[in-house]
Amino acid sequence: MRRFFKRLWPSSETGQAVVVLGVLMAFATALSIFVFSKSSLRLDEAQSLFQVSRDIGGTLYVVAQDVHVPGYHLLLQAWTFIFGDDITAARLLSLGFFLATIPMVYVLGKLVFSHNVGLYAALLVTISPFMQWYGSEARMYSMLAFITVLHYYFFIKLYEEGRARQWIGYTIVAILGLYTHYFFGFVLLTEVLFYVLSRKSFPKGSFKKFIVSAVVALAAFAPWLLYVRQLGTASNTQPSLTSPSSGDVFNTYAQFLFGFQVDALNTIIVSLWPVVVLLAFFALQKNQKITKPAVFLFVAAVIPIIAAFIASVIVRPFYLSRYLIVSLPPLVILMAWIFSTYPLKVRRLLQTVLVVLTLGLLAIQVLSPQTPVKEDYSVAVAYLNQQVTAQDVVVVAAPFTIYPTEYYYTGAAKLTTQPIWNRFESGSVPAYNKNTVKAETDKNVLPYQYAYLMLSYDQGYNEKLKTYYGSRFELVSTKDFSEGLTIYRYKIRYDPPIIVGQ
Amino acid sequence: MNFLKTSTAHPLFLFLNIGLSVTYFIFICFLFPIGNPVLFGLLIVGEIFHIWQVFGYIHSVWPRKRVSEFDENFTPAVAIYITVTGEPADIVEETVKAATQMDYPNFNVYILNDGFVAKRENWSEAEELAERYGITCLTRQMSGGAKAGNINHAMTKTKEPFIVVFDADHVPVKEFLKKMMGYFVDRKVAFVQSPQYYKNFEENLVTGGAWEQQELFFGAISMGKNTTNSAFMCGTNMAIRRTALDEVGGMSEFSIAEDFLTSLLIHQKKWKSVYVGEVLASGLSPEDFLSYYKQQFRWARGSLEVAFKYNPLFRRGLTFSQKVQYLSSASFYVSGVIVLMNAVLPLLYFYLGLEPLTIGTMTLALIFIPYILVVLYTIQLTSNFSYTFRALSFSMSSFPIHIKALWQIMIGKKSGFVVTSKKAIRGNHGYLVAPHLIYIAVMVVGVLVAFVREGFTPSVLSNLAWALVYVAVFIPFIMAAFQKVGAEETLPLKPAKKQSVQ
Repeated sequence: MRRFFKRLWPSSETGQAVVVLGVLMAFATALSIFVFSKSSLRLDEAQSLFQVSRDIGGTLYVVAQDVHVPGYHLLLQAWTFIFGDDITAARLLSLGFFLATIPMVYVLGKLVFSHNVGLYAALLVTISPFMQWYGSEARMYSMLAFITVLHYYFFIKLYEEGRARQWIGYTIVAILGLYTHYFFGFVLLTEVLFYVLSRKSFPKGSFKKFIVSAVVALAAFAPWLLYVRQLGTASNTQPSLTSPSSGDVFNTYAQFLFGFQVDALNTIIVSLWPVVVLLAFFALQKNQKITKPAVFLFVAAVIPIIAAFIASVIVRPFYLSRYLIVSLPPLVILMAWIFSTYPLKVRRLLQTVLVVLTLGLLAIQVLSPQTPVKEDYSVAVAYLNQQVTAQDVVVVAAPFTIYPTEYYYTGAAKLTTQPIWNRFESGSVPAYNKNTVKAETDKNVLPYQYAYLMLSYDQGYNEKLKTYYGSRFELVSTKDFSEGLTIYRYKIRYDPPIIVGQ
Repeated sequence: MNFLKTSTAHPLFLFLNIGLSVTYFIFICFLFPIGNPVLFGLLIVGEIFHIWQVFGYIHSVWPRKRVSEFDENFTPAVAIYITVTGEPADIVEETVKAATQMDYPNFNVYILNDGFVAKRENWSEAEELAERYGITCLTRQMSGGAKAGNINHAMTKTKEPFIVVFDADHVPVKEFLKKMMGYFVDRKVAFVQSPQYYKNFEENLVTGGAWEQQELFFGAISMGKNTTNSAFMCGTNMAIRRTALDEVGGMSEFSIAEDFLTSLLIHQKKWKSVYVGEVLASGLSPEDFLSYYKQQFRWARGSLEVAFKYNPLFRRGLTFSQKVQYLSSASFYVSGVIVLMNAVLPLLYFYLGLEPLTIGTMTLALIFIPYILVVLYTIQLTSNFSYTFRALSFSMSSFPIHIKALWQIMIGKKSGFVVTSKKAIRGNHGYLVAPHLIYIAVMVVGVLVAFVREGFTPSVLSNLAWALVYVAVFIPFIMAAFQKVGAEETLPLKPAKKQSVQ
């Protein structure tokens, strides 16, 4: 048996890497196809499909109105053109980027530290419930993670060698990154910061080349900025966010490693933060030098999050953990390296504990119906499809949740939003207004027998809306579907329906 | 030697270090709601001490240069003192042999034999050894002044203008004098110190821990002290100008840290000191836990005595840097009280629900984690990555020793000079870590008490994590105490009485 495994296990690093990375990618693919692809369409995904369901000009227009850049959307548009526009096909694009991120993390880990660090980091990124989640979501986050790792790879290559082809690669990937997500700016900020602090360690002439690269990247990105500026008010579907707290910073790291867990479990995870101090103490090992690239990865794991946090507190709130996925790959590579510095027994113990813990929490994220980010629109809308008649009306709030609702909706009743929103018009999503709520409610529901009020993705007024409806109409039933997704059924009219021909 | 290849940290980074320390202090002092006022007060005292330690360390390693005059042709007459107090003849012989073979034109070797006054059975071995090697043995007949008294006695019997001191187990290299004496060409240089190096550091857990603890001091700290003319004598491997020593009345006999106090008195007289960053002699680390314990106690007691009785801050003639450096070194041993205080905080929460601050644990983490990581990185960077978890463990776990030393000073109890055993003392030394074992037991029960009282709340979990940090830090120390070592000398199971030579 042992001989069999020995034969199976290549002796060269490359061979080992191919086998391990192949297994990891197969695992990620299987999990995505057999588990995540079965989950309901989520709000953001519905938005992606809506945005790419038009011609290129139309897509650019709606994306510019949104809080995103068009790189992913244009790619998704081409993808859906070839593979079809259902959600499973759309998710495969994200899966592709997730799968590409796995070997890329290995390559970066190997470049900065060693083969073993690269492999363990690749394992961590594969089983990361956060990466699994966004690797199977029809959004740009896995693409952003992949491009970030690729960009860091080129950046470190520039630090070490600075060859012409590396500069070209670095610049091209920077342009791709800028067109993938605005938060790629934090990746560039991290690099600038590191460069300023370590410029003497870079090859000669780097400064000029960085300037050229920056000018080229900005020139390439400028048309988009000008287009957005020309359109005026953006943020058509921007969710309302609250200012982040210190807890959000730790939740972000906890989510990176352990995924989306219910509050009780998440509290346990983040409350054990002093363990970080112990891990840092353990890392005090003789001759374990912290190289400049290692410092860079530390900066890359921290700066985007801290910068986004500070900007969200000072400027305006836009702190969302998924936007900060750029910090996940450097974090897992750093963790893999820190573990590698420990004495053998401690290392193996901690490595095993972390993998088992992560897999356990991945399983909980997959199986638990209470997982916070689960948005079970498919089941909720299936319920509506079964219940509603042509004499009823379905009202959804927040207004942009009409996207996933619409995707599954085949019911006979009218579908509308409250606040009332015409998403085909330019401008932002209307906010809740207590002065117009009566008029809007009258317009939405008065002609109908029953109103199904579907509340999800609370923008700060779901409770007010529910209370208002409750004060005017009789609540007939309530049904919960997933965390924060509930349907309330109200009786609107008591006069019997007119039956034609009687 | 790696620990001597110190690297400088960028001043900006050191400022960041101080900035984060001060920020952390300001936050806990002024911005967080106070819980129990007594605990809050103690916490503040502890943090003031931590800031002082950070400041002292950064002052030591601040990037600055000092060029000391050196002339290899300066070869004055030197008296080599080898201090012996009944150490095994084979150990002393190795030192004597190496000393007599040093490559230098003008020196005499003397054995300073205190074996007789210390009532050692083998006291005459030193005389036999001296006879064999054709050197002089100065055997004291009247006790007094311990090692300092022994040196002062020898000074009355010798005439050479320069004195070199070796402990019985410190074997010099052939070039020792050539590399040390050239600094005395500067007529203001009073003494030159070279590092203490423990050649038996791989012997067992005690020698390893003791050596790793020493590395930071004899590396980054002493090299830094040298740049501010604050390096002090460390009892062995040092060369002294007789006139400087005469000016302060010889080696101080009023403290068991005679080298430390004498250095301070010499610096007060505006003399200079030099620290040579090269291992020129190698000695033996205490090989058993009891010897280690006694050595640490002697250093703690002596240093604290200087801090309290000869407070460097108020000594005239010292420069600002010298005041900072002396006080920083002397006050290091106060850290035992702070370690205990911090370690007890989680227990107080478990049993009584008392907290110094009533803030969300995440907010504390947000300011504490960057602070501690930057501090640890600074230590690693400036010590050329030679500091280890075991060194940290030994330093922090020595808190009972430090507290005992502090207590004895406060109650005015006298203490004698205890010579560190040069060979392992067999026996059960587990009782020396009783405080640590009690801590673990109290913690386990405390967790249960807290769980019964409030369940696994975030506060309980955070305090549990903190307590586990301390337990993990204590473990290498506990293991060293229980490790079985050589069988040369057997002592009773209860603590040994001090082997005073006074």
